[in-house]
Amino acid sequence: MGRQVCVASAGFCEHASKRSDVNMPELVSEAIADCLAKVPSIGIEDIDAFVNGNMPAFEGANMPELWMTDWMGARNKPLMRVTTGGTTGGSVAIAGYYSVTAGLPGIDTVLAVAFEQQSQGDTSVGLASVAYGEISCLNSLGIPLEQLSRLLSAGAAIGVASYQATNYMRRSNITEEDLARVVVHNRHNAAKNWYAHLKMPNLTIEDVLDTPYISFPLRYGMVCPASDGVCAMLFTTEEKAKDMADIPVYVNGVASVANETAILGYDGAGAGQLDPSEQLGARRSSELAYGQAGISFPRKEIDYAEVYSPFPNQELMWVERLGLFEENTATEMYKNGTTAINGELPINCSGGVNSTNAIGASAMERPAEAALQIMGKAGNQVPRTVHTSLGHGWGGALNFVTLMVMSDEPQRKWR
Amino acid sequence: MSEKIINITKGLVRAEFNFWVGLYMDKFYDGLEQKKIVANKCPKCGDVFVPPRKICGKCNETIALDQNWVNLTDTGTLTNYTITPYKINERGSRKVKKDQIIGMVQIDGSNTTIVYKLLKIEPAEIKTGMKVKIEWQEKTKGAPEDIKGFVKV
Amino acid sequence: MEKVGIVGYYQVKLASDANYGRYEMIFEAVRGAIDHAGLKKKDITTVISATNDYYDGRTISNCFTVEVGGGYMADESKVEMDGAHAMLYGLMRILSGNHKLAVIWAGSMPSCFPYHSARLYETDPTWERPSALVTDISAGGFQMRAYMEKYGVSAEDIAKVVVKNKKNAAKNSLALPEAQMADITLSDVLNSEIFADPVTELMYAQPCDGVAALLLAPEHHALKITDKPVWITGVGWNQDPYYLGDRDLSRNKSMELAGKMAYDAASIKDPANEIDVAELSEAFAHEELIFAEALGLAEAGKASTLNSGIDGDIAINPSGGALGGNPPCATGLIRIIEAVKQLQGEANGYQVKNVKKAIASGQIGMCAQNNILYVLEGGGN
Repeated sequence: MGRQVCVASAGFCEHASKRSDVNMPELVSEAIADCLAKVPSIGIEDIDAFVNGNMPAFEGANMPELWMTDWMGARNKPLMRVTTGGTTGGSVAIAGYYSVTAGLPGIDTVLAVAFEQQSQGDTSVGLASVAYGEISCLNSLGIPLEQLSRLLSAGAAIGVASYQATNYMRRSNITEEDLARVVVHNRHNAAKNWYAHLKMPNLTIEDVLDTPYISFPLRYGMVCPASDGVCAMLFTTEEKAKDMADIPVYVNGVASVANETAILGYDGAGAGQLDPSEQLGARRSSELAYGQAGISFPRKEIDYAEVYSPFPNQELMWVERLGLFEENTATEMYKNGTTAINGELPINCSGGVNSTNAIGASAMERPAEAALQIMGKAGNQVPRTVHTSLGHGWGGALNFVTLMVMSDEPQRKWR
Repeated sequence: MSEKIINITKGLVRAEFNFWVGLYMDKFYDGLEQKKIVANKCPKCGDVFVPPRKICGKCNETIALDQNWVNLTDTGTLTNYTITPYKINERGSRKVKKDQIIGMVQIDGSNTTIVYKLLKIEPAEIKTGMKVKIEWQEKTKGAPEDIKGFVKV
Repeated sequence: MEKVGIVGYYQVKLASDANYGRYEMIFEAVRGAIDHAGLKKKDITTVISATNDYYDGRTISNCFTVEVGGGYMADESKVEMDGAHAMLYGLMRILSGNHKLAVIWAGSMPSCFPYHSARLYETDPTWERPSALVTDISAGGFQMRAYMEKYGVSAEDIAKVVVKNKKNAAKNSLALPEAQMADITLSDVLNSEIFADPVTELMYAQPCDGVAALLLAPEHHALKITDKPVWITGVGWNQDPYYLGDRDLSRNKSMELAGKMAYDAASIKDPANEIDVAELSEAFAHEELIFAEALGLAEAGKASTLNSGIDGDIAINPSGGALGGNPPCATGLIRIIEAVKQLQGEANGYQVKNVKKAIASGQIGMCAQNNILYVLEGGGN
């Protein structure tokens, strides 16, 4: 059976909309240096294997890990590349966990790196090509392109998210003001996090509601930025982690589940036909990950959560679907301060994806931040001691979810 | 359904990319614009890189941006070559009538090779190990194509 | 390393233009593998795929393959490398104890995308890509010349590999029809058109359409599913630096290190004598020789003197190898499947006698920059 795995460190580079001072490998090397600086007892030569991932189509580089081998310190070392779209970071982190837990001879310490330098490409066009293949397929069945693009409103992530948002708003009976409140929560948190992109310490709900719509109900002030950024996480065995870090963070549960294909899906039977705020994949993922971690009451047992929410409606949806709050109660929790930094269950104290989104890295920044909160080393540290935390990632078309449950103590053996 | 149908609408979605070269390569391209080869050197093993790099992969050593720069000549040694009729761009590949002669050249004083065309030479004359020299474009603009290719010395 | 068994597999017949939906092809392979093992969809606990967004011409191409690949509501992920690397991740997942049955599938359809352009996107966009002189084609030429000049190997020696593999492919009913050449001669190979001198067209493994799938299970579970599982006893993988000038192209260091790691895990001391079959992913004929040397099957520069036919001392690529059809992403996984067939005695028409240990490899990158090697062993237990 697998070995116990710990996170020993996590690192970031400075995020911004344009990191034009560096090329892709140089950007990646910054986060690796930050990650290793936190574990002074080891150096890059102590890394046994690497896992790497990003969304290749956004930067116009196919398999860029080939190019950045030396910049990662991976020359003549084992390296594996994992990409799953928006969840890439989460999938890379999970692959880092599996690389260690598998116990392959000589593979104890694994560096997982996820990155994106979006300023080099056109992310919206890249995302439109997710749907594009299907559009042309339906196109040939006689549905004109104009009609399809109306159906998908923008084709890119906003188009998908806006109708997920309306679905969620109808189900939970919330207002645009409730969405804006989540944005304010995130941007205020981001202001205290050194590497975050959109830092707005004085933002108000009115400010957010004063910006124009991109696609109802999402306004310009509500959506995530496009950032250049990198995240690195160091996974290792329990024994080695104890030497490297004061508080090694045990990875107790991981899952990555999708419950449908795409927006339209194969033969037009995808999420477009379903309620995109239902999220069977998220429910199944949490079932699996909590099961592995021996968590029966997530609301009580989890002290901190980082969820992947480029759009505010998603943050409300995820905290419910992942079992952190009862259905349709998330808005209330943001109102009464439960999710604030000194609340009962702080959410996204890093500022979340809503404030910083280097897509390929975002889903790794969630578990990375969640791990740092346990170590007490996060940029915007929760004052209370965090024992158990959750890092979530979202991607695919609408329904691919990665989860990593971490704790300051090992897995419960009675699972 | 045949995937071929998708080919007909090819070009509907086309993303543009602009790659940041980074400060190391920036300095290199500034050098090319002045018809100079600017390399950098690993402080640990002493390997000299063309083009310059931030990290020496052999030593995992970061080479500081403000030091270890070396100016090299525009001569070098041909270490390897190939002749191919295939031309590839980002949209497809095709066979051309005139074969391209492509060489790997180690600039004198460096430990790496760069890949450029060999010009004004017949296939029969080419030998690995021969001395070659850069043929510069008349007007340089700080880009890879400032080096037109290499010619026999 | 605990034992993990390969309990089922399926390979779609290769075609230069399958004229067949990509998803249908994936479904055929995955369904075929599950049927081959006598299992059901509900038995799958995890799915690992290997595809490439550039090859599929679409961002996040794996979000369309969830259902056809058997991943609906299963724990799934994608390795954007070769199928052999996807199997590595599947192996890790089985070894973790979290999963009981892993589906590994891999494939692509180069008939509907410009393969060489997609490979061009691998090159350094800030330096080499604009001039497009470092390509998968020219890199093959550099590699063959470096190997020939270093060891004094002749083009005929390398052409012999092509003749062997294409003749082997003729016996393999799943190989690419265009690559099945029972009557090929040395002069056919040497006189075919120049691809990237000294490589000729026939020395290059043509990309083609294809998908393959394979099932992994932990030891106790594997024995319940089949009475002749094949065990993975060793795996090694490694990456070389990127720039061609940083590498000695006449050998392949990443394959040497991958081989060492896999041999150590499988306690193989004398590969040349212990291994009966090698299925190696060769993008070019000369790579088979370079790999054989990297893996200790022959001394440096001497691989061309090996008797590597089906009835030879050590059979290399009895299935025809990648020269018998090279579906990007699937090639390495097909090599593993072919090694499994040899170990199970099911390689109809090209079965090597008395196979106990086999190796299989996969690669990605220019001049095989990243390699992975498996040691596989047969026997009920």
